[in-house]
Amino acid sequence: MDITLFLQQFLNGLSIGSAYAIFALGYTLIFSILGIINFAHGAIFTLGAYFTYALIGGAFGFSGLLANAALPVQLPFALALILGSTLAGFVGVAVERFAFRPLRRKGSDSLLTVVSSLGVAVVIVNVIQYLVGAESYTFPANIYGNLPASFNFGTVEKPVPIRSIQVVIFCVSVTILTILTYLINRTKYGKAMQAVAEDSTTASLLGINSDRFIVWTFFISSFIAGLAGSLVGSSVSIRPTFGIEFGLKGLAVIVLGGLGSIPGAVLGGFVIGLVEAFVPADYSGYKDAVAFGILFMMLLIRPQGLLGRRFVQKV
Amino acid sequence: MTPQTTNNLAFNASPILEAKYLTRSFGGLVAVNKVSFVVNNNEIFGLIGPNGAGKTTLFNLITGLIQPSSGQLIYKGDKIIKLRPHQIAAKGIARTFQNIRLFGELSALENVIIGRHIHIKSGVFNGVLNIPPAPIEELKTKHKALELLDLVGLSDRAFEKAQNLSYGDQRRLEIARALALEPQIILLDEPAAGMNPNEKQYLSTFIRQICTQFNLTIILIEHHVPLVMGLCDRIAVLNFGKLIALGNPAEVRSDPAVIEAYLGAE
Amino acid sequence: MAGFFATYGNLIVLMVLGAMLGLSLYLPLMTGQLSLASPGFYALGGYIAAILSTKVFITNSSLFPIPLLLLEMLIAGAVCGLLGILVGIPALRLRGIYLAIATIAFVEVLRVISLNLDITGGAVGIFGIPQPFQTAIEYLWIAVPLLIISMFFLYRLERIRVGRAFAAIREDELAADAMGINPTYYKVLAFTLGAILAGIVGAISAHFLNTWNARQGTFDASIIYLTFVLIGGSKTFLGPVLGGMVFTALPEMLRAIADPEITGLQLPTAIAQFLQDGRLIIFGLLIVIGTIFFPQGLVTPDLFKRRRVRNNK
Repeated sequence: MDITLFLQQFLNGLSIGSAYAIFALGYTLIFSILGIINFAHGAIFTLGAYFTYALIGGAFGFSGLLANAALPVQLPFALALILGSTLAGFVGVAVERFAFRPLRRKGSDSLLTVVSSLGVAVVIVNVIQYLVGAESYTFPANIYGNLPASFNFGTVEKPVPIRSIQVVIFCVSVTILTILTYLINRTKYGKAMQAVAEDSTTASLLGINSDRFIVWTFFISSFIAGLAGSLVGSSVSIRPTFGIEFGLKGLAVIVLGGLGSIPGAVLGGFVIGLVEAFVPADYSGYKDAVAFGILFMMLLIRPQGLLGRRFVQKV
Repeated sequence: MTPQTTNNLAFNASPILEAKYLTRSFGGLVAVNKVSFVVNNNEIFGLIGPNGAGKTTLFNLITGLIQPSSGQLIYKGDKIIKLRPHQIAAKGIARTFQNIRLFGELSALENVIIGRHIHIKSGVFNGVLNIPPAPIEELKTKHKALELLDLVGLSDRAFEKAQNLSYGDQRRLEIARALALEPQIILLDEPAAGMNPNEKQYLSTFIRQICTQFNLTIILIEHHVPLVMGLCDRIAVLNFGKLIALGNPAEVRSDPAVIEAYLGAE
Repeated sequence: MAGFFATYGNLIVLMVLGAMLGLSLYLPLMTGQLSLASPGFYALGGYIAAILSTKVFITNSSLFPIPLLLLEMLIAGAVCGLLGILVGIPALRLRGIYLAIATIAFVEVLRVISLNLDITGGAVGIFGIPQPFQTAIEYLWIAVPLLIISMFFLYRLERIRVGRAFAAIREDELAADAMGINPTYYKVLAFTLGAILAGIVGAISAHFLNTWNARQGTFDASIIYLTFVLIGGSKTFLGPVLGGMVFTALPEMLRAIADPEITGLQLPTAIAQFLQDGRLIIFGLLIVIGTIFFPQGLVTPDLFKRRRVRNNK
């Protein structure tokens, strides 16, 4: 393979991988404290993208209840991104409150919580579709202001052009990863979260209010999902279901890295991003199957994932 | 005390289960450490020791739920390590669990019928279409299960969900379920836990009775020392994974290592 | 009556097929294994029937011969059964959410493969699958007997050695193992039976829907079948049958309620429109509400026991 092409694929892989990584972190945070997979996570990813799209003043199409509607304001992309993600965060909190907490209170089987989260995903996707239709929307090209369309990571003779949006995705994702690592390892919240993840009973004995931490965790993970959705959405285009597909990839990422492992989610994200980037063009149709093929193999060979701990059943 | 009689009994009896240098470690912790002993046919063999001495781990090794790190287990002349739990059960070793593991949503009767699994021959085809011998076999199975429930005094609770039974009833149901396998050896993991003195006395008589009636070999983990001393033919004492004493109740009782282990553990 | 069947023939057939898809997911669940693989086998069974009937079994008759349809169902069931064993043996070493994820991955891989192969018609799929019947409602001649056989099979299964082994594994796999039940064998058996049923239903559906494409076997379908089982009730086979029928009919029922020509009710426009276009929102809400308030599902075995006790008194 030509070195410039290789570099280009590699950098693109890193970029999408970083988005997978932060998205998967949201799954992982919730899995480590509740022991469940939140299937609504992908839907919140979509929702974040729609919020951001609306906040930059994007117009909606013909079908749906809000046909042809647009907000009177047109916020700059950066502001819309943060606001949209915050709104997604609040939706995440509401989901926790109405779909997860009642089940937790009743001590229900974790399988039921998973099903409930699937129900939430169905609701969110269809509310979006009901309001703004099933068609896809593309973010305007000028959202990054004065940034050029692409950056050259090679030389003038051998250019390695990378789309600006990919660079932005990578930078934002790495920033988020850094902040989260700091949050989890250095702050009281992070310590408490780790305690709850280790053992919720002990944690409550230590005076840690589990509910409050669960709410915070849902907010943070949904905020990040919204952020990732907005960024990825601005690089492709958004449809009500695009988060569900991305959400399934996210599953592959966390299982590959090891369920509940935070470094695992990051590693898994980059691995899958890079592997997908290097699928030969002739087989691009199979690109989407690669993540799941890896996932399936991984589960059969090493179910605990690359960095996960082995789960030992007590007799 | 006549220690000689039990010793003679041990020498005359034929061995049914033998552990040779059985070892199992979890990470750095050696839960069972080079344990060797022989259990004889039709004896009641007690296993005692302080908490964490490795008694339940030993049961799990014998029933194949976990694999030994090294050592050998020989049952009626065959090596049984590396066999899956269901294969060991089919060979005739049944067990109960320290923390009761019944099929909670199913009735007491169904629990015992499931214990008959290995004795039913009809497959899916005969069973679904109710073609002979399936109907007769089902009837016999049910009959046998009811007999066993009667034996443990639960015939009036046969259609109750196992999870709704009282603690003592659940322990007895677990024994009935294990008996349904028609095993040669039954491993009882703390069968008297949570029982009052009367129930314990009854249980002790009951264990002796099934031992004779079904020509069973019984290996029993129990914390309640008087019960063990009164019931068992021989007793093995484990401490920190090691076998520190083995002999009849009188010998074990006066063994300095045992006294040390128990006093040290208090 | 004829008018009713003409209007709702399609829906009734779909309800019967839905009931069987619910059962295909219920079978592995009998051993406590949450497998979402059914849509994969359903899609595969459909492709087998679609390919056979459009490329292999070419006939001159205006209606596709029923024996050939039955042969297709047999082949679809056999292929799905074999694949079920091949996938089941490694996959069923996984438990709980890991198995669910592995089966989601399996469905996705099959879907992407079918999107890319020539024989499956790529993204467009296969068109013009021949019809064995004149009208939609006649499909009941195939679907209803199959449903009755499946239900009888499960009814009997729950009362014999195999079904009890399934239940024992569901309740406590380790204890079942210690009672002489080979958990791997029975889990693979249950999984494979589910695969066979899904494959057969797929073969019928391909003819019934006339076209077949990769959208038949998706994650969305997994969720819908799961809803059939969990809201219908996962402790007796009647649960998924009822769940499959009700939830297949639900969107249509909502549409009908919104239609003043059917109910004679003139609902406010906003509500009528919501019932029509927002029916999947209601579907999703029912899933959430169902899991919170009916964790056992609508049909539970206790329902029958209690009645029996009352009758005895």
